[in-house]
Amino acid sequence: MSDDYLWDGSGPPDPEVERLERLLGRLRNTAPAPSFDELSRGAAGLKTRHEVSWTSARFIVPTLAAAAAIVAMIGVTWQTTRRTHSWEVERMAGRPRIGSTLVSNTGRLGVGETLTTDAASRARLDVSTIGQATVDTDSRVRLVDTREGHHQLALERGTLHAFIIAPPGQFVVETPSATATDLGCVYTLHVDEDGTGVLSVTAGWVAFEFNGRESFVPAGASSRTDPRVGPGTPRFDDAEPEIQAALDDLDYGTDAAKKAQDLQVVLEKARARDAMTLWHLIARVASADRGAVIDALAARVPMPAAVSRDAVMRLDKTALDQWWDALGLRDASWWRKWKGPLPQ
Amino acid sequence: MEQVLGLADGEPVVAIGVFGRPQVDPAVDVRAVAGGDGQAFARVYESYSRMVHAILLGRVPRRDVDDLVQDVFLTAYTRIRELREPKAFGGWIATIARNRATDYLRQTREQVELPDELPGGDSIEAETFAVLQEIRKLPDAYRDTLLMRLVEGMSGQEIADRTGLAPGSVRVNLHRGMKLLREKLGRPDAIHTGMTHE
Repeated sequence: MSDDYLWDGSGPPDPEVERLERLLGRLRNTAPAPSFDELSRGAAGLKTRHEVSWTSARFIVPTLAAAAAIVAMIGVTWQTTRRTHSWEVERMAGRPRIGSTLVSNTGRLGVGETLTTDAASRARLDVSTIGQATVDTDSRVRLVDTREGHHQLALERGTLHAFIIAPPGQFVVETPSATATDLGCVYTLHVDEDGTGVLSVTAGWVAFEFNGRESFVPAGASSRTDPRVGPGTPRFDDAEPEIQAALDDLDYGTDAAKKAQDLQVVLEKARARDAMTLWHLIARVASADRGAVIDALAARVPMPAAVSRDAVMRLDKTALDQWWDALGLRDASWWRKWKGPLPQ
Repeated sequence: MEQVLGLADGEPVVAIGVFGRPQVDPAVDVRAVAGGDGQAFARVYESYSRMVHAILLGRVPRRDVDDLVQDVFLTAYTRIRELREPKAFGGWIATIARNRATDYLRQTREQVELPDELPGGDSIEAETFAVLQEIRKLPDAYRDTLLMRLVEGMSGQEIADRTGLAPGSVRVNLHRGMKLLREKLGRPDAIHTGMTHE
């Protein structure tokens, strides 16, 4: 039997699906939309509740009662504090552990604690109130810090998928060879035992940084990383394999002659879409090669009128910023303004 | 299914979905809600309340679901300016709903343990809640998708549009979820359902 009926009600009716629709349809949402005016008042109430004066007489008795309640609550304060400084962990498969404790269904990961999954286990983390992260098999992840506006994990090995809805910069993942700062996005980060890794971005942006070397990785692109060097040059996942291999060698190879050939491959075969990669290379190649990279980028995305070749050769931040803006990628100015100079 | 985007004469462009429900580009309305547009809020509620209701129904007792739906939309309204990408609204409000359900369960666990659904003497109602209980035991992805389809009457494409999931993922979730549910309900055709999209 086809599942077209299950999909959209078309095709021959599936008797069991029909029966369940009739049964469960009784539970359907029927509540009308709340009044927008009431909602606005409710929202205003949430925002200003703390501004209400409590010094008038009608608040004195409740205040004294509240004070007594506070005393009674001292015994449970540690639990609240723990919640504030920990994240909910939900077991998805197998037997994940927090420290040495098995997570049967749910648990809490406190600051300084490590969540470990084996070859058969996976877990989901609530990243405070700003998103979720899924920890795949054979992974170790430690909660470094969590507080208003800043949430930080350390991925020691394995794979983590992050879905973050907070403003840029609030969610950070350290790895042995780079730190990933979320700029509002969905991404996957993988780290091998030797500290090498790869970041792949599905939506939004991630800034990848190690010892001042930075990569801005947009949706559809990836960046390798290696503890010897830091983040590699980002490239779109649909770039020619030959270009990707050449970039890997440029980033992490040691043979100067081979690297010169690699650069030629990249400059000749880059598509217009690969301008993002060429832009990163401007600051990464030796100054003797910089002119060729600038020419290759200009052939794909013309240098803005306000930008001079000399300024780009000097790695002038303003000039590089303006050319970046001309690439037609989404704005990453928040990161650039916050962090200062561009990738070195 | 036709994709609908943009404005015409100042109004969001509307088309009719396979289940006959109007479809509006949500990004247009989400931006308008952030600007204080009450009519846009009503449309956003119409578009997303069934998804939120389904997510909550899969996690908390039915008697509290309606109140929590209101809570979720209030939270979304107060925080909507934090949402930088209006097209991500579906995933965003779904996360708010899941977190609200988690908070609810924590609070009620610390208070008096109340019984869940009480079927009463109606045999149809008893069967309804028995099925609901089985769906609640399914993995999240199957549970939410099945409740959106079987309770809320959303089509697979509507579920994909609202949640931000790929249509193929929704189809797989529906198919596998239904297969698991048939097994749990002891249906004889549990093993022999069609597998047209796996």
